[in-house]
Amino acid sequence: MRMRSNEKSGKGMSNGRAVNGFLLDITGVLYNSIYKSDGVAIAKSAEAVDFLYKHSNVKFLSNAKGNSNRNVARRLQRLGINVREEDVITPAPVVAQYCREHKLRPHLFVREDVLQYFDGIDTSSPNCVVMGEVEEGFSFERINRAFRVLIDMPKPLLITMGNGKFFQRVDGPCIDVGAFAAALKFSTNCEVLNIGKPSRFYFEQGINALGMKPEEIVMVGDDLMSDVGGAQACGMRGIQVRTGKWRPDFEKLPVTPDLTADCLYDAVKLIADNGFRL
Amino acid sequence: MSKISAVLIDLSGTLHIEDLAIPGAQAALELLRQHAQVKFVTNTTKESQSLLHKRMIKCGFKIEKNEIFTSLNAARDLIVRNQYRPFFMVDDRAMEDFEGISTDDPNAVVIGLAPEKFNDATMTQAFRLIKEKNASLIAINKGRYHQQKDGLHLGPGAYVAGLEYAAGVEATVVGKPNKLFFESALKTFQDDVDFSTAVMIGDDVNDDALGANKVGMRSILVKTGKFRDGDESKVKNVADSFVEAVDMIIQNRVNM
Repeated sequence: MRMRSNEKSGKGMSNGRAVNGFLLDITGVLYNSIYKSDGVAIAKSAEAVDFLYKHSNVKFLSNAKGNSNRNVARRLQRLGINVREEDVITPAPVVAQYCREHKLRPHLFVREDVLQYFDGIDTSSPNCVVMGEVEEGFSFERINRAFRVLIDMPKPLLITMGNGKFFQRVDGPCIDVGAFAAALKFSTNCEVLNIGKPSRFYFEQGINALGMKPEEIVMVGDDLMSDVGGAQACGMRGIQVRTGKWRPDFEKLPVTPDLTADCLYDAVKLIADNGFRL
Repeated sequence: MSKISAVLIDLSGTLHIEDLAIPGAQAALELLRQHAQVKFVTNTTKESQSLLHKRMIKCGFKIEKNEIFTSLNAARDLIVRNQYRPFFMVDDRAMEDFEGISTDDPNAVVIGLAPEKFNDATMTQAFRLIKEKNASLIAINKGRYHQQKDGLHLGPGAYVAGLEYAAGVEATVVGKPNKLFFESALKTFQDDVDFSTAVMIGDDVNDDALGANKVGMRSILVKTGKFRDGDESKVKNVADSFVEAVDMIIQNRVNM
């Protein structure tokens, strides 16, 4: 197949560094989301995933915050993309673990499907707010409740599952949790702790799951600042795909991907053809 | 000191508190009118001119409706001047002040206070206009939160901050203490009024007193309404109430 990638990709590839593991973003890389449906697979992403399972190491590092890992994996399987549940990393279980370790009592502003991860955590007299998915049923009443909990705290703390500005749905870009975090921060002056990309703590979950050094890993994503820039800041290489929320004007932003490819399959093929070096 | 020719007067907390006038304020206002032109200025996101006017009449003030200038009016000025066709996130009660403004094919997002519109679907609609159609973002004010009978409520500033973050833009804020507001208010006087001959009377140390000073107007902070001890140290002119403020103006005792 023919590769179409940016000028960087052609140069000096053969003496690039070894790529031993792949972290893949899910939405906008494996599939595109459609409101109230499973969405639609991105061409050849299923083949790319199969190929990586067979020839390399792969984990899926997503900021998806509305569904459990099981349901994220099942949705992908329904789209013909064979992702194993145990290889999916999403913020909700990581946030729950963080609350346990730091003895936090969260006010939960999250979707029902991820509540299971918070089983057994004390949520009485909350000392932080945990905010997840904003799509659907996100009413003034709910955000105002979170606001009142925060404004009553001596040191308000808001933990968000990612701080994205928007996510791409097939019908257009949709405002993401980061905007509502900014809203609550403006009104309560709370501290915002992001547990999701691009936070280092969250990328480390992916690095640890692969069990290798960051230098050996490439992160593939559609969000230049969060996926690519965030991965690079952790010592990984960042690959931009021209799917999902990618925009031509990304070139003006202050992050330069290690590789830009039209889609996941192209990126994987290019690296594989180069002897798993980049 | 140059003589004061125009006075901007805040409403709530300065002339009245809810349905009660500040004692002596009605007579003081009549006295002031003999010495200077007046306009009544207020930040509101949900009350139309006529609603505010009715309340002032009820409190016993002799005021014409068109003497009231609100942040909604300032927003309307801005909309007309820039030929904006807004997507409104504004309380229904305030929409009266935007009558006749076209909203077809919006090229601006105008945010007041509209809790029912602070949800993912409406925010996404506003976001797409800004991000994809380069619509301007206009905030009637940027209040953080406010008290209602049932407790605290997020203010319009929260929605504005959220959209600013998501779309990477900065909103134009039209209410007090922004220069645009004071400018628009002074333009409503018949004669040209210079900032240096105008004074602002109000109970909010930031939005009224310091805001006016910043654009080169004088100000008098009144110790009624939301005045808090310590506010007086931040400003040059303080009065016990609107009544004393009027005396200061008539006696030309208002410092720059």
